[in-house]
Amino acid sequence: MANNLTPKNMALRVERYDYRLVFSKKGRARFISHLDMMRTFSRIFKRARIPVWYTQGFNPRLYIMFPLALPLGTESDVEIMDISLTERMDSDELMTRINSAMPEGLSINKVTEPAMDHKDIAASQYNIRFKLKNDKDTCGLFKDYLSQDRINVKKRSKKKGLIDIDIKPDVKLLSIKEDDGFAVADLILPSGNDKNINTSVLMDGFKEYAGEEFEQIYTTRTKIITKTGENFT
Amino acid sequence: MTNKEKIEQLLLNVQKPARYIGGEHGSVVKDKSKIDVRFAFCFPDVYDIGMSHLGMKILYSLKNERENFWCERCFMPEKDYKQVLIDNDIPLYALESLDPLYEFDMIGFTLQYELSYTNVLSMLELARIPVLAKDRHALAPIVVAGGPCVCNPEPMSDFIDIFILGEGEEVNLELMDLYNEVKKRGGSKEEFLHLAAHIEGIYVPSFYDVTYNVDGTLKCIKPNTDDAPPKIKKRVIADFDNVFFPDYFVVPYTSIVHDRSVVEVLRGCIRGCRFCQAGFIYRPFREKSIDIIKNETKCLCEQTGYDEVSLSSLSTSDHTKIAQLLKELADYTDLENVSLSLPSLRIDNFSSDLLERLKTIRKSGLTFACEAGTQRLRDVINKNITESEILSTCKTAFEGGYTTVKLYFMLGLPTETDEDILGIAELAHKILDVYFETPKELRGGSIQISVSTATFVPKPFTPFEFEPQATPEEIDRKQKLLVKALRSKKIKLSTHQDDTSVLEACLAKGDRRMSKAVYQAWKKGCELDGWNEHFDFSKWREAFDECGLDMAFYANRKREYDELMPWDHLDYLVTKSFLINENKKAHLAKTTRNCKEGCSGCGINKSYGGVYCGK
Ligand code: SF4
Repeated sequence: MANNLTPKNMALRVERYDYRLVFSKKGRARFISHLDMMRTFSRIFKRARIPVWYTQGFNPRLYIMFPLALPLGTESDVEIMDISLTERMDSDELMTRINSAMPEGLSINKVTEPAMDHKDIAASQYNIRFKLKNDKDTCGLFKDYLSQDRINVKKRSKKKGLIDIDIKPDVKLLSIKEDDGFAVADLILPSGNDKNINTSVLMDGFKEYAGEEFEQIYTTRTKIITKTGENFT
Repeated sequence: MTNKEKIEQLLLNVQKPARYIGGEHGSVVKDKSKIDVRFAFCFPDVYDIGMSHLGMKILYSLKNERENFWCERCFMPEKDYKQVLIDNDIPLYALESLDPLYEFDMIGFTLQYELSYTNVLSMLELARIPVLAKDRHALAPIVVAGGPCVCNPEPMSDFIDIFILGEGEEVNLELMDLYNEVKKRGGSKEEFLHLAAHIEGIYVPSFYDVTYNVDGTLKCIKPNTDDAPPKIKKRVIADFDNVFFPDYFVVPYTSIVHDRSVVEVLRGCIRGCRFCQAGFIYRPFREKSIDIIKNETKCLCEQTGYDEVSLSSLSTSDHTKIAQLLKELADYTDLENVSLSLPSLRIDNFSSDLLERLKTIRKSGLTFACEAGTQRLRDVINKNITESEILSTCKTAFEGGYTTVKLYFMLGLPTETDEDILGIAELAHKILDVYFETPKELRGGSIQISVSTATFVPKPFTPFEFEPQATPEEIDRKQKLLVKALRSKKIKLSTHQDDTSVLEACLAKGDRRMSKAVYQAWKKGCELDGWNEHFDFSKWREAFDECGLDMAFYANRKREYDELMPWDHLDYLVTKSFLINENKKAHLAKTTRNCKEGCSGCGINKSYGGVYCGK
């Protein structure tokens, strides 16, 4: 677990211990943007007096890695953050100390070694609970939407701006049911470096298909899945 | 759907939504069924600005210390979210409970700058609270306001029930206690206001009648009830060392303007620059002891997790034990990997050893608030900084590798001539010469001098309250003169927009009649006036015209010493005769020593705790 770092100068070599934290981001915390998560956690670690490892060099920075961005407004049970410490800490103690300094809605659920590589991530599973305005048959319409031969949606691409794509092959619906006027769907979409489709792409397409806005929509990432179909966390 | 659920759905489509939902570390949530008085602290600007404000943090935790009070925060929404609130019929709410403001007992605004006035009206309207004080009949909500602008609150007097003069740490609690008493016995708003007027520092504008002369100047301001004193005295915390200071801050998720711990080291200023309102209204000079400052620094750093702490004051270097203070603080911050920043520090008299440790000073570069271009004019304004000081500090700095210098000036100061304007350019060129005289091996790569000018705004309770503001045409001419005189690409000039200064001057020195113009301008859509992209001067002009008010009468007219000022019934402890004397000395280019060199008798009684008063 202790990696030796590159500096040739022995005095600069600091041992570092890597940990992977799995945390949930719920309630109001889902409005913390990806950019602000870095700031938020650096303050949490400082409050909790965690011996975090700083990048070496002219402008030392706290080492925190978030391999998967979570869109603003989406909740999650399974966010991942990799950190390095300057000393070894007991996993339970690390978890308790951090949790005691966390604001409402954030909480560490698991501390592990970073065994799997971020590149192994292939997809995420989501639970989406939603309801269209004006008492539309949300559940029925959503089933129709997914059973089209092609699901044409607009996706923002870095190079080409808004493009039309067919995401039929990418959406894997696990279950859908009706609950108290809401449609509740569990589904899998690609995430990670190779291919990434946010739920908003799918759901904006649905809004257009149904010709109606959402009255309420709650999205939660529930699982991160590797290329071989394993659970990443 | 609950209010919270509704808001959360709407936030999915706005910019930086974390500003509108609360839940930050340090925010105080209480059980409202156990609360006697609910107070909504409103900052009339956006979250990013308001959350940076120290006064709000102090009063927020002060009130929340009390078990039966609950103080919450509220800010002006950006245009996008404001529209969302209106479209979805959501009244403006406070961030802790997400309850609408109209459910609160007291709504408190802090008036930090004149250009935020219309935001007060917007926030009240968004909260569905009648904007005019006379249309609010019930005890709740009472609308109060404090902050520096309250030293002349007349242009806001139609909207606010109670102004709180001076420092708020004691008087806020006294006011809330009184409110609680009146509320419990089912008293009326009228009854509460009459009782409140007896508290020192409380100004109830509706209890005063103002009459005018035919030439538009004020004739008389006098109370219309025995409960209101003829003069209202500002509040001062005499025992500053033991004043309440929070041991926690609300730590925002999104980046804000000043995102760090802040510790207040001193209040008031010894210097008496004649244009500076803060230098007079916050008198006398008081300071905290090193141990208290150190302890407050430690508490805040631990609670917030910020990696930066800043010392707040008008002039940090004037702390009587500044070198020892900085050394001891640096010992702590070095150990904890926290950086110490000192925004208002004069670096003249420190050992290079100490300077080396205060790394952040290096980062921020060299800044001089020269204010005026010649020694004569600097004497007029009593700005105690000489050319040789500036040049020698620059020399040392250039030898240490600094390459940026920022110079701040004002245009349109009393007695200013073209020579003073050209003096600005001359000074900048002299600094440039100093750089080029610095040996190449020592100096940094490429020099950048930036010169910023702002238009002088005469303010109440300063020796310049009698002075006219230069007209926009004059300022324009002066700016052009300066542009022509600056002959190097290494010197960059930026000038402040004039129209806002004109409005600032009007609102700063306005009387009660101006309330109508504020209302009218707001009705025309003026809000967020402090933001260039939203400021619409033509609407303000129309509003003044429609109310029969002349901007030049307020901004560009010289006042005689015996003219009754709209704020003359307010007592900020510095005497009028002192201000008049200072004004006379200004016109003779005579300086006045600072309080440390010896008391000049501005009128403040020793009992207010001033370190140098009466010495
Ligand atoms: S009374 Fe004297 S020492 Fe005190 S603030 Fe006034 S001038 Fe300064």
